Amino acid sequence: MISIKALHKSYGSTRVLEGIDLEVNSGEVVCLIGPSGSGKSTLLRCINGLETYEGGDILVSSERVDRHARSIHTIRTEVGMVFQRFNLFPHRTALQNVMEGPVYVKKESPTAARAHAVELMEKVGLGHRLDAYPDQLSGGQQQRVAIARALAMRPKAILFDEPTSALDPELVGEVLGVMRTLAKEGMTMVVVTHEMAFAREVSDKVCFLYGGKIVEAGVPQDVFGRPAHPRTQDFLRRLLNSSEPQA
Amino acid sequence: MFLQNALDFLPVLLEGAVVTVKVTALSFILSSVIGLVFALMMVSNSKLIARTGYTLVNIIRGLPIIVQLFYIYFVLPDFGIQLSAFQAGVIGLGIAYSAYQAENFRAGIQAVQQGQIEAAESIGMRGAMIMRRVVLPQAFKIALPPYGNTLVMMLKDSSLVSTITVAEMTRAGQLIASSTFENMTVYTLVALLYLALSLPLSYGLRRLEARLGTRNTA
Ligand SMILES: Nc1ncnc2c1ncn2[C@@H]1O[C@H](COP(=O)(O)OP(=O)(O)OP(=O)(O)O)[C@@H](O)[C@H]1O
Ligand SMILES: [Mg+2]
Repeated sequence: MISIKALHKSYGSTRVLEGIDLEVNSGEVVCLIGPSGSGKSTLLRCINGLETYEGGDILVSSERVDRHARSIHTIRTEVGMVFQRFNLFPHRTALQNVMEGPVYVKKESPTAARAHAVELMEKVGLGHRLDAYPDQLSGGQQQRVAIARALAMRPKAILFDEPTSALDPELVGEVLGVMRTLAKEGMTMVVVTHEMAFAREVSDKVCFLYGGKIVEAGVPQDVFGRPAHPRTQDFLRRLLNSSEPQA
Repeated sequence: MFLQNALDFLPVLLEGAVVTVKVTALSFILSSVIGLVFALMMVSNSKLIARTGYTLVNIIRGLPIIVQLFYIYFVLPDFGIQLSAFQAGVIGLGIAYSAYQAENFRAGIQAVQQGQIEAAESIGMRGAMIMRRVVLPQAFKIALPPYGNTLVMMLKDSSLVSTITVAEMTRAGQLIASSTFENMTVYTLVALLYLALSLPLSYGLRRLEARLGTRNTA
């Protein structure tokens, strides 16, 4: 579904991704973890062409991702994206946010798009807030609308960039709950997250990024249970120390 | 005495006020359209188009409005373009103010968060549609205060078209004053009439901002 080979990316002279190889099969959930600045966001942004890249290849359903190619718009309708800061359109209601892509990009009939959008709003638990504007919703609710907006395009995969890091702790659960459901339903997902319990529970594969490389990848039991690379061990130890209450 | 004179002068001044409102409204619309075009040029990805936009805006902004009005009314006929004083006034004021409108819109467009554009891109939208459905609606709300301010300034600066003989309110006042020598009465009336137009306008704009303002930001 998504196939990344020897991906290289720099910002000017700063090398951010230095040879990433990653296969994401249909129906798989892949979690990307790693310290700040390791290139997790950049990798995601390359996958749906929000960034250019200098070396290697990214293929989505065998189509090469190229920010400047005509095909990028089609690829983006197939690969949804959920942002850390939600990025809902503030001048449109929740329902309009969800309908925007289907109606204006895919030219679906408004009636059909509306019915589908209502269904998705119900799915994310917001069937009662269809006409709310984003600024009338909590962060967790906004993020769930953003997930519904991505789903409305009937994507083959969805990319999540730290979807819960901008949320108050008590709102994290409702968003992870929706994502858990999607994972169970077989949605292909690439998730950048610091929620290790979630990553451990839902992912088929966990990749640990460090300095623009995937230094360790594998099933969650291995990466979390017996990390092989010292960097991974170090990262997980720090994370445990900072999140575990002093006993 | 003042009241009697005032009642005599008022009908003529009110006719002038109608012209003032027409000149202001039409040149405001014209300046908005041209200004929007300039603003879209200035934020264009093409360096050439952007630079052309900035250059045009700087040239227009660098010329006194009166000089632009004189040029359009007195010089263009030499090139075979004959305009009525009213037409020349509207076009001149519209072009002169398009530079300020362009700046209002450009600032509004650039204040829209990058994340909004990325969200639009991520659902497959393309440039023109992103501009129309995502950026401009938000940019207009951001630009509303300076936009309203520009409208009030234009109402006042519409008096400049009196210099090319458009019979708007200031010119009507001048004509009455020069034939009756009742300067104080005439210009007090003119001033009051401008305030009668501009104060409700400012108030209405404030209300509009307050109503739209709540959904300004992402
Ligand atoms: N637009 C940019 N211009 C220049 N450098 C950038 C830009 N965006 C990111 N970088 C740099 O690229 C590197 C990787 O950034 P990236 O945002 O991908 O990291 P990340 O793993 O997502 O980190 P975080 O956990 O903090 O979100 C960082 O060193 C960052 O400073
Ligand atoms: Mg990041």
